[in-house]
Amino acid sequence: MNWFAWRQHRKQFLVVGIILALYAALLIPTGLHFWHTYQSAVASCAQNPANPSCTDLSGSLFQPTIDQALLHLAPLAILLLPLILGLFWGAPLLSKEYTEGTDKLVWTQSVSRRKWLTIKLTWILVATAIFMGAFTALATWWAHTSNSLEMNRFDSGVFFEQGIVPVTYGIFAVALGTMFGAWFRKTMIALGVTLGLYIGFAFITVPLMIRPHYMAPVAVTTPMGPGFSDNIPQGAWVLTRGMEDQNGRVIGDVFTSAPPQCQQVIQQNQVTDNNGRVGIKIKGGSGNPIDACLNKAGWHLVATYQPSYRYWDFQYIESGISLSLSAVAVAATYWLVLKRDA
Amino acid sequence: MEVAIQTKDLGKRYGSFWALENCDISVPEGSVSALVGPNGAGKSTLLNLLIGLSNASAGESQVLGRVPHQREDFLADIGYLAQEIPLYKSFSTHDHITMGKSLNKRFDEEFIRKRLTDLSIPLDKRVGKLSGGQRAQVALALALAKKPKLLLLDEPVAALDPLARHDFLSSLAQAVADGGLTVVMSSHLLADLERVSDHVIVLASGKTQLCDDIERVLKQHKLLVGPRSNTKELGDGLRVIHETHTAKQSTLLVRVDGKTKVPAAWQKHEPNIEEIILAYMGQGKDLNEGSAK
Repeated sequence: MNWFAWRQHRKQFLVVGIILALYAALLIPTGLHFWHTYQSAVASCAQNPANPSCTDLSGSLFQPTIDQALLHLAPLAILLLPLILGLFWGAPLLSKEYTEGTDKLVWTQSVSRRKWLTIKLTWILVATAIFMGAFTALATWWAHTSNSLEMNRFDSGVFFEQGIVPVTYGIFAVALGTMFGAWFRKTMIALGVTLGLYIGFAFITVPLMIRPHYMAPVAVTTPMGPGFSDNIPQGAWVLTRGMEDQNGRVIGDVFTSAPPQCQQVIQQNQVTDNNGRVGIKIKGGSGNPIDACLNKAGWHLVATYQPSYRYWDFQYIESGISLSLSAVAVAATYWLVLKRDA
Repeated sequence: MEVAIQTKDLGKRYGSFWALENCDISVPEGSVSALVGPNGAGKSTLLNLLIGLSNASAGESQVLGRVPHQREDFLADIGYLAQEIPLYKSFSTHDHITMGKSLNKRFDEEFIRKRLTDLSIPLDKRVGKLSGGQRAQVALALALAKKPKLLLLDEPVAALDPLARHDFLSSLAQAVADGGLTVVMSSHLLADLERVSDHVIVLASGKTQLCDDIERVLKQHKLLVGPRSNTKELGDGLRVIHETHTAKQSTLLVRVDGKTKVPAAWQKHEPNIEEIILAYMGQGKDLNEGSAK
């Protein structure tokens, strides 16, 4: 049975293996180069802090288009790979047997359906974990430079491209595709449904609605004025920033919501430019009179964030969610294959 | 004689449609049964139930003394050839042999290699590139290499040209002659079945119309030709299976139970098995039309 599973899927493994080799060939040299460039920039800034580029390393290093393209596109592979495996390994895994009638060939050999399914699923899910693990390990190592540069790996843009979460998403996508393949028995339908549901789940529902709430965010309150960002620790994943009035109501537009005494201050500092656009111009010197007025009225700035030390907690929680959903999909697959007629 | 397959009131329902209903068959061990009936009569449904590929909605069945189930010990004794002869197109014949070895505890590799070599089928070619006849031979050899006690074949020759069909049936007849094998083969090609089978099962509209030994069936049926008349005038013990009338005469295919005498007014002929089977298939059709009204 193991030989059979290997024989059936070896071409799929070979294709992804080649992609992995190409990915490594791209990431290993560029990763080393980026890291050395960054390290020597940090070293020279330590000796020469006066160099203007040292105040904004992330804005001065790796500016050529090719570097920028690489930094943005290479991690995309980790975002798309689970989907690709779900569509090309998961969806056809069982639906192809049904459409080609080979279910009736293999289920009438002397192997129970349960054993057949177990071995098939084990091969495909273990292969998914191994390949996703290799891809993600490469990408995580490679992202070391940009993580250090941005001093953040928690932002929703990169959280999903590093660590252990991508591996569990690969497993989830394949389990989902397999389940729909067993359900609809038509590869194209299974493919379409998997595509839609996975995109909705992994790219919309989780990052926008679920992930921010794994743990209660930390809230900081700052008086109106500059220096807001200083109160948010480095590497945190900032969820919200905004103004609140004395009653804790969130304020969208200062101009219309400000209390009457501050409206006056705003009008005094209002200027109209040549194009007729209205703005605020503060005459230099000691503080901003508008901020002062709003502070007096009880207004303040509020930010909520997830601190960086929660990074691995979040990775574990999200991995737990996707693995639980994978288990549900696998259980449903067993039910569909064992209980339904050929 | 031992019974290889026995079903009682076996039924399979898809939604509200009964693909097979109240099916009672009995297949003796060592027989070669022809399972015939028009398309959609429930032949594949019955075969799928017998090997446990699908679950019955009603009734029961015993196959080789066991209830059909997806279990290794049950499957090991049955060879099955599904309709359209599914094989893994990207696998070579050799791969299929390794697959058979990998998926069956009992699998006679030497036998299948010799058999396919004798048939000059290339073992290293992808089966997708073999002819239909060669694919059917590979599938039959795979089923036989399990050394089954029962072989279920679902329209194995339907897609083959006459020569390939002839070769396939010869192969089958040879395997049967080697002994110890019970065969149920469905088809709508009556002439082919007559060559290899000694037992017949007629299904029409999801119901069993006939299930018996061919010799006995031949003895029990008569073709009566006489002046046009009301068939109800025939005596008890005669069952009219099929009747056709012209302006002047009536032709009846009747089943004669016991020693009932046929009225002298009728000319008596011996029908052949094909005529009898067609009569039973037509009966199912009539029944169907009757219920539709």
